[in-house]
Amino acid sequence: MNTVLQTKGLCKTYIVNKRQNNVLKNIDLTIGEGEMVAVMGPSGSGKSTLLYCVSGMDRVTAGKVFFNGKETANLGDQELARLRLDEMGFIFQQMYMMKNLSVLDNIIFPAVKSKKNTESRRQTEERGRALMRRLGIDDVCGNDINEVSGGQLQRACICRSMINNPKMIFADEPTGALNRASSDEVMNELLALNRDGTTILCVTHDPKVAAKCSRVLYLVDGGIVGEREMGHFAGGDKELRDRERELNNWLMEQGW
Amino acid sequence: MFWRILKKDLKRKKTINIILLLFVILCSMFAAAAVNNIIAVTGGIEHYFDAADVPDVTVQMLNIRENDLEERLGELAGVKEIRTEHWLCVVSSKYFRHNGKKLDNFTNPAYLLSDREMAVNYFDESNNIIESVDKGCFYATAPFLQGIDIKEGDEVELTVGNSHLTLKFMGRFKGALFNSGNSYSPYLILNSADYDDLDKDEDIMNCRQLYVSTSEVEEIRELAKNYSGVYVNTREDSKDIYLYDMFSAYILMIITIVLMFTAFVVLRFTIGFTVSEEFREIGVMKAVGIDNGSIRSLYIVKYLAIAVVGTLIGYFCSVPLGDRMMKTVSENMVLGSESGTPMGLLCSVAVVIIILLFCYGCTRRVKKLSPIDAVRNGQTGERFRRKTLLHLGRSKLPSTAFLSVNDVLGSPKQFSIMIVVFTLCMLLMTLMSNFALTLKSEKLLRFFDVPVSEAHILDTEIVGKVIVDQSTYKTIIADTEKLLADNGMPGKCTMTIGAQLEISHEDKTAKVNFRIMKGETNDTLSVDKGSAPQKTDEIAVTAGTLDNLGAEIGDRVTAVINEKEYEFIITGTFSTFVNADSAVFLYKDFDLGHLAANSVMGVQIHFDGSPDREQINRNIEKLKYLFDTDKVYSTSDFINNFTGMSDTLNAIKQMMMVLTVIVTALIVILMERSFIAKEKSEIALMKAVGVGNGSIILQHSLRFVIVSFIACIVSSAVLMPISNVMMNWVGNMVGDISGLKCDFDPLEIFVICPAILIGVTVIGSFLTALYTKTIKASDTASIE
Repeated sequence: MNTVLQTKGLCKTYIVNKRQNNVLKNIDLTIGEGEMVAVMGPSGSGKSTLLYCVSGMDRVTAGKVFFNGKETANLGDQELARLRLDEMGFIFQQMYMMKNLSVLDNIIFPAVKSKKNTESRRQTEERGRALMRRLGIDDVCGNDINEVSGGQLQRACICRSMINNPKMIFADEPTGALNRASSDEVMNELLALNRDGTTILCVTHDPKVAAKCSRVLYLVDGGIVGEREMGHFAGGDKELRDRERELNNWLMEQGW
Repeated sequence: MFWRILKKDLKRKKTINIILLLFVILCSMFAAAAVNNIIAVTGGIEHYFDAADVPDVTVQMLNIRENDLEERLGELAGVKEIRTEHWLCVVSSKYFRHNGKKLDNFTNPAYLLSDREMAVNYFDESNNIIESVDKGCFYATAPFLQGIDIKEGDEVELTVGNSHLTLKFMGRFKGALFNSGNSYSPYLILNSADYDDLDKDEDIMNCRQLYVSTSEVEEIRELAKNYSGVYVNTREDSKDIYLYDMFSAYILMIITIVLMFTAFVVLRFTIGFTVSEEFREIGVMKAVGIDNGSIRSLYIVKYLAIAVVGTLIGYFCSVPLGDRMMKTVSENMVLGSESGTPMGLLCSVAVVIIILLFCYGCTRRVKKLSPIDAVRNGQTGERFRRKTLLHLGRSKLPSTAFLSVNDVLGSPKQFSIMIVVFTLCMLLMTLMSNFALTLKSEKLLRFFDVPVSEAHILDTEIVGKVIVDQSTYKTIIADTEKLLADNGMPGKCTMTIGAQLEISHEDKTAKVNFRIMKGETNDTLSVDKGSAPQKTDEIAVTAGTLDNLGAEIGDRVTAVINEKEYEFIITGTFSTFVNADSAVFLYKDFDLGHLAANSVMGVQIHFDGSPDREQINRNIEKLKYLFDTDKVYSTSDFINNFTGMSDTLNAIKQMMMVLTVIVTALIVILMERSFIAKEKSEIALMKAVGVGNGSIILQHSLRFVIVSFIACIVSSAVLMPISNVMMNWVGNMVGDISGLKCDFDPLEIFVICPAILIGVTVIGSFLTALYTKTIKASDTASIE
């Protein structure tokens, strides 16, 4: 299995009111191609910071980050932006979208900006529609972003994260703002993507979400204190219940 | 609590608050300075006239050594007192020499008066009444000093007729009834002995001014109708001398109004933005039971603080600005100790009140927000109108340009307001440019009652003989044409001569200025209605004259000229700047005989063969040499010499350019900072998905470029109609003008001014948009 993401001695420190706050401490992490890794931990443990640091959205204080074999810690802002645009996809807890664009335009926007994309605008639009169709939201193509439900909007965010065929998707609490039904729908889409070969790193508080991932990392005070190999989730309610039970027991052991 | 909220808010939105403060300072500064100035001048005139002891009526008699008008005035029942001043007329500046050089700095004749006969009070520069002038010394009014470097103690030689005097300059003096504008006659006060020496010279023209205290102005006017070359002005009429001094104050007032409007736009935007940004706080306050009024007053308190501080600073800044404006006024007037300070303060207080009322109105959105908004993230889910108009997938625009255009179309109200403000800024610059250009444009020539011509001889000595006997024009024209032909610049000459006569229509009689164009020209009188006179019994009149006579085109009027009664048909109306409410144009072949003229517009020369401007300028230089005078002008200089406003308007235009740069920059910075604050989540999102800083900065800058570009197009489209309407409106105030089309400089209007606006916008928005660099992709996590 090829390594997509690797960190060595990753540290992140914030200085707040002249006080040093070590948010991430010596994180060594390796994520292979096709994995779906969940990061869990109590509030303030550094889960989101880890996601932002490894995706190049934030700078690391020390250590190394390799994405697809390339060290990203030393890249400039422009190179990092290009890397995020072409090789990574992002899903956030809040369904951030650009207010003045329709749902479809929001989805195809990264493709239009990408220099890697050689398609015509019309072809890109068609691909956007196809993605929306696949995620079951093609009926809201031309809608404004406030004319659709939270679940539809998060699925649109998934479409946007997929539009440039990224090597890896980073999801920060992707179901945090959704109800249970929408949450399940979104997770099913992420699972489907993962089955198609997309690597996913997902930060979550929800054991139900994490139970669907192939590996779970447990973070406390900026360090990985536990790691659980779960294997790929094949589907089915019974398996999910078993995985949830197994994960909950493990989380209890970790002090969840 | 109010203080804590204010402190927090002032800290949080430092840039926006500073810019708002600057706007309030500017508004208050301009308003206070303009009001102070207007009050000082309008109230000051009355005070000045009292201090100078200006009586009810002045009667000016040109070129009249003796007549019985003074005696007959004394016989009128209403007349209480008559004071007399005799003036000697020096027809050209060239009779004066300073540092051995002939003066060429004033066009109109200079008038000399004796210190023995000062009928009203004249003041020196320190506002002390001039009681006497030492022998061999003189005081002079402002027009004498323009363009020459003369200091107190300098000697000036006067050689006129057979007389020669060397006079020491004692300083400037102020005369309440003497216009200090550059295009007016200078006045000099001499010692009585020096005056008497000059008065003995029969070659020097003598005039008289009578100062009459009376309760019956009309009987003086009636009496004056029987004398030619006699002009009656009431104390009220004389106040028009100071219109010019108020002009800049009125311009400042207009600037204040535009600035207030701009400040309101900025305030409205900022308040609206703040209220929608703080939906959560407002929702929570409402949820715990705080009423709308209290919430609104929380916002008002901040603007009260900004308005009070800004107004105080603005008021103090208005003092030097007002002083600078008043400097010119105080050079021409004796101002009283009372000033416009209380009114200026009142004006500043008014600025505070207006801003607060406006702010309170702007916070009405608070009423619309409910506690549910705090829970629902400020979104009600309701949307009745589509926001997105363009589609990225179908657009051919580059993605960054698409986003900018889409943003502008997505918030039409917000960007329209900016377009209006930028358009106003552009118009302030371009209107001034048009007015300045028009006021020296050759298009105005016809409004001075002269035909198309390229050179104008205004030397009083050359054309002055016509005043005594208008028939001398034949010799002047013939001699000038011969001189032109002999010196290789053949051309035709014309002279427009005026004479004051009475005209009657039915039972109405009016004293009007007859004008006639003598000499050869193919140019016929331009008429607004009807047709130009084609026969000697036809006349054109101004609309004002028609009103005065109660006549219409086609009516017959009568006039006694050279003791013979003539009947004329009114064939049309014409526009003029000169004596507009009492002007009549005769057909060129009408013979005025040896009638004395009261005005002559110089000699107009129309060169044969349509020479280019360079050739015309060479010809003008040659004419100056041939006639030994500097008073040969090109058409634009001729016009500017009469209007005298072009240079002032140019100065105002430059001030407007500076102001536009400041206002535009402030608006751009403020708006862009607001946009950045409002769109922080979008910027962070764009960065997160991999959009570079450059694209984001370009998108933000482009929005302002689009707005300024539209403003340039709108202002260009409305500029000429507005210019024409305003110019004709002003023209109607000073004359009787209609159908005047403004001149414009395409380079300035369509290139330089738009370049200034767009340039400031590009630089301002780019530099402010650099702030987006501080927003990180990871900020998506911390945005509410």
